[in-house]
Amino acid sequence: MINFDSINKAKPDLDLANLSQEDRAFTINNLDLYYGDKQALHNVCMAIPKGQVTAFIGPSGCGKSTLLRCLNRMNDLVDICRVEGEILLDQQDIYHKSVDVATLRRHVGMVFQRPNPFPKSIYENVVYGLRLQGVKDRRALDEAVETSLKGAALWEEVKDRLHDNAFGLSGGQQQRLVIARAIAIEPAVLLLDEPTSALDPISTLVIEELITELKNKFTVVIVTHNMQQAARVSDNTAFMYMGELIEYSDTNTLFTTPAKKQTEDYITGRYG
Amino acid sequence: MDKHNLQRHISGQFNAELENIRNQVLAMGGLVEQQLGDAIDAIHRLDSDLARQVIETDQKVNSYEVAIDEESMRIIARRQPTAGDLRLIFAISKTVADLERIGDSAKKLAKVALEKVDHKQSPLLISLESLGRQCISMLHDVLDAFARMNAESAFEVHGQDHDIDVKYESMLRELMTYMMEDPRSIPAVMEVMWAARALERVGDRVQNIAEYVIYFVKGKDIRHLDEQQVAKIMTPEQD
Repeated sequence: MINFDSINKAKPDLDLANLSQEDRAFTINNLDLYYGDKQALHNVCMAIPKGQVTAFIGPSGCGKSTLLRCLNRMNDLVDICRVEGEILLDQQDIYHKSVDVATLRRHVGMVFQRPNPFPKSIYENVVYGLRLQGVKDRRALDEAVETSLKGAALWEEVKDRLHDNAFGLSGGQQQRLVIARAIAIEPAVLLLDEPTSALDPISTLVIEELITELKNKFTVVIVTHNMQQAARVSDNTAFMYMGELIEYSDTNTLFTTPAKKQTEDYITGRYG
Repeated sequence: MDKHNLQRHISGQFNAELENIRNQVLAMGGLVEQQLGDAIDAIHRLDSDLARQVIETDQKVNSYEVAIDEESMRIIARRQPTAGDLRLIFAISKTVADLERIGDSAKKLAKVALEKVDHKQSPLLISLESLGRQCISMLHDVLDAFARMNAESAFEVHGQDHDIDVKYESMLRELMTYMMEDPRSIPAVMEVMWAARALERVGDRVQNIAEYVIYFVKGKDIRHLDEQQVAKIMTPEQD
């Protein structure tokens, strides 16, 4: 059998339904989430494979961002938010009492919709996390800046003005800077919440290219409104609707022969 | 018809584009069916005017193929179809290629009618005609299955290709007997043999189209599978 899958997939034979423990980054079991009385996630169960790009798609309000924010406990910041069920990162429940949220977020970095660099220089933005961790060695910091900016495909554009204010960068560059900041502390997982929705098409393509690079080192989970983007960059896609995980499979299958009619209607742009 | 919700896109323009390209494929299919029928008639009645007409009209079939391919490309570029829409465009693009080749076969048959056949050979032509009629009926059925996007009837047509193959084999044996009995008949018999071969290929191409219809409807590729595997795919799953 000729198998073209291997061209665009790291592990073509990964079976999402029966992932082995060492292939899993996250395991989500029976996750329910409530904002006050309103239930926003209904019994979500899924395994997110390591070293791959997993995309969450679905209409507005379907819970995809909520689910993403659960993965590094961003929802803790919402007072009325209550989470039931478990999320395992490397077989450890991240909602367990003993888990330190700051440590968790160091392992699970996040990039938001709008680029949010700090009002500091490019250099200081990248080393921010490392300084928080107490790294002082100048050489280590320099090295981290170069590797992270290279990793975020920004180095060539900013290497001569590392000490300029980050606000002087274009939107696309700022977003890549934020990604550089996130990968500087070498997280295991990178969460991207609609990382290109505020960017122009070219910057979007640069970020998408970057995502493909990133998966060699990190597990990437991305929420996107742009279905074609999910189709382009992800290995696996989860379609959510009204707080439920409707269908979760490898991206090629989901975009050519989805199993559920709801998925088909959504990705082909039909009335629900 | 809207079992497959072709008309339910949020974009009305996209609905119109898909409907339009489907109609064009059906129009092309209708034309090819007529071409094949005319070619068989031309052979049967030794009607050289009709045969010439078939040869000329083949140009129109070809231009349908080009136009539909262009439209498919436009839709892919502008709409980035996914899932069922993507399978539809893919099935259409493959179908028109096979329809165009069926058109070529009709042209080949018309040429046989035009030049090489005289009344002495007419007994040879009877089984050719019967084979041809069966091909036309298969083509008609598969176009019908395409129009209604009906995988079950496409599957029925798919199975009929076997009959064509059997008939073709037996025709070959018959023609060989003629050649052995009278070597002078060989050039003429060869012409009929080419025509039979062309019809046998029509059966194969109709079978291909049936496969594309099934692929569109079911999302399952049944090409090159054995009968058991195909039957398994075609039986509805018990949930």
